[in-house]
Amino acid sequence: MSDSAKNTMTDEEKNTAAPEETEEHRKQVVIPLLQHRGAACEPLVEVGDTVLRGQKIGEEDEYGLAVSIHSSVSGRVIAIEERLHPHCSKQPSIIIESDGASESIKFKTNKNPSKAQILDSLEDAGIIELNGYPVYNTLLTEKTIDTVILNLTNPGDVSSNCTGENISKIISGVKLLMTASGASQAAIVANKNNKQIASSIQSRLGASTKLVTVKRNYMPSMSNLLAYDMTGIRISNTGTPADAGVIVSSAHSALAVSRAVLEGIPLIDVNLTVSGVVSELCVKTVAIGTSFQDVVQSCGGYVGEPGKIIMNGVLSGTAQVTDEVPVIKTVTEITVQPPHEVLREKTGSCVHCARCVDVCPVNILPGRIAAFADVGKYDECEKLHVQSCVECGMCSYVCPSGRYNLQLIRFAKTALLQGFKIPEEKQYPIIKLGCQSCNHPCHMWAPLDGIPLKGSDKE
Amino acid sequence: MKLTVSYPPHIRDGTTIETVTWNKIVMVAIVALISIYVFGLPALALIVVSVLFAALTELCIQKLANQELTLKDGDAILIGLLIALLLPPTAPVWAPALGAVFAVGLVKHAFGGLGTTMFNPAITAWVFMNISWERLTASGSVPYIGEYSDLLLELGAGRLAEVSPIIFIIGGLYLVYKKYIDWRIPFSYLIVAIALALLLGEEMSYVVTGMLFLGAFIFANDTATSPITKRGRLVYGALCGVLTVVYGYFTYNYVVAVLYTIFFLNAVSAFIEKHTVPKPVDEVVA
Repeated sequence: MSDSAKNTMTDEEKNTAAPEETEEHRKQVVIPLLQHRGAACEPLVEVGDTVLRGQKIGEEDEYGLAVSIHSSVSGRVIAIEERLHPHCSKQPSIIIESDGASESIKFKTNKNPSKAQILDSLEDAGIIELNGYPVYNTLLTEKTIDTVILNLTNPGDVSSNCTGENISKIISGVKLLMTASGASQAAIVANKNNKQIASSIQSRLGASTKLVTVKRNYMPSMSNLLAYDMTGIRISNTGTPADAGVIVSSAHSALAVSRAVLEGIPLIDVNLTVSGVVSELCVKTVAIGTSFQDVVQSCGGYVGEPGKIIMNGVLSGTAQVTDEVPVIKTVTEITVQPPHEVLREKTGSCVHCARCVDVCPVNILPGRIAAFADVGKYDECEKLHVQSCVECGMCSYVCPSGRYNLQLIRFAKTALLQGFKIPEEKQYPIIKLGCQSCNHPCHMWAPLDGIPLKGSDKE
Repeated sequence: MKLTVSYPPHIRDGTTIETVTWNKIVMVAIVALISIYVFGLPALALIVVSVLFAALTELCIQKLANQELTLKDGDAILIGLLIALLLPPTAPVWAPALGAVFAVGLVKHAFGGLGTTMFNPAITAWVFMNISWERLTASGSVPYIGEYSDLLLELGAGRLAEVSPIIFIIGGLYLVYKKYIDWRIPFSYLIVAIALALLLGEEMSYVVTGMLFLGAFIFANDTATSPITKRGRLVYGALCGVLTVVYGYFTYNYVVAVLYTIFFLNAVSAFIEKHTVPKPVDEVVA
């Protein structure tokens, strides 16, 4: 019997064995209260409350971030407790049992909003850029913004969001961002893989829109670098693209902004691509809080036994402990690797081949920094500009010795943030610093330098 | 369901130390085969003894020190091959044996093994042999690339490595094309060396030898002993070119010039690297 035949049989067996159980499971959504960079939201509902789709259930007060969380289904809150989070930790989450009716609150539509109205509707829409920063707070900047850059080089983002009728929504989203920020022009950054989509968007956005073709993939963490490459203005690593007079938006955010402003729907579902060993590669619109397992099932299920489930790309994404983790706002891609593709090579010694230096987009020496981080010399890492790293993961990808440069660099960065606490508490750094397998270390919750906060203009 | 959890990256580009080293070995081995064809059995004896002792030394050291055996990464074998290629066929067979033990034992493993060597092991072994037994390891003739056919097969070669420059040119370009080695050091080395030699009016037939290409593509480009910064590599290659021509201009021996140049520049590569650390793109000038 061939492998594929075996797989289809096991799939059928599964389906016939417990159809009710999966149905039961699908009725629940787990919505984490932390889906952004910063402190977790406070729940606005209690156990037993009935909620509607689109109802605000969580809000952040302490730092004034516009990161409200909304229910993605209608139903009853059955628990508020710590659940597994796709960033490899446990986070307080609201668990809602769906009643299946998917009854929504009344969404306020607005066909022709003014600048104040746009900001007004974005404040409560909870839209988060893929790098974890809220879009509303980015728009509040006091600096003059002249360009909105639409980044179409993140493969996961483009494959998930730039489909069908979404493209016209992305275009209106870019226009809304231009109005809201006072920018006079837009620019589209694309690489050769998605040049067609980019040029079609450009032609519909108008003549003032520039189309820039680049070779690199700009991941969400690289927006400062993207702004520098486009404008030539250097931005410090504690700054934001606004320092160079631009706002960088992903297709994900542009789409969400257009939905929030024109249709009144807050960010309650995301588009994501499921690839790897699943029955078919598919792009789905998924309610936030749906488990990875259900997403994969809706794409036809696994083909064979999965070896590794990766969120947000194979270069710098996070491997999941289980497929029961929920989809959060910043997920664009789920990759399932078969067991034989999972890397099991041994890490060798650095031979100083400098391949990492050649691919580094920010001109630092990744291998050297990683070697210092490995022996705990974090001050040396700082001298070698470890803070400039944008965590693209290329240095680890090309390393012929199979070294984990990205992990060691993240380790050094977190150590420098936490550095002065460790000796006092006399704890082993490794315990305090976490595993660094995601870009959102468990102990690094409030580094929000450069992002204007809601209350900041009053002070 | 068993899921693996690990740090990113979750894929690699597939180039490993083994692929790089074994590709280099293939290139060097082709030249070794041609040298056996040209020089006969003495060359074969030198190569076999050298590789055997290099491999055995590594095996013994790692067994004694309870380390993981790394013979299959090919580094010791490459060192052994290169030591043999640096000798004339007239050298006694015990010379490469001692040289290989010295290179792998002292130059490589005493300093920490793969990737941590300060000097290129094969060149250091050659310097050691050349200083200890100069008459035995000196070559009887000097290569003279008079015609283009000499690039393919140079019968006047004094050392094993000089028999076929074209193999190093094609092999080196292939390694650069496959991104197994970086282009900066060999290209800046060759361009500077040839340009300077032309400027000084040197006879190119003596400058462009197999040793120059071996030096540029393999020895100067040895990853552990060359700078890692981009500018540093260009400077390093250019300095190699300058020193080679300076040495060759005054001694009329461009073969030895290559070897001593690289040996000397190994010593200053850390200095070059320290002064060419690039500025990160996010450094804001106040």
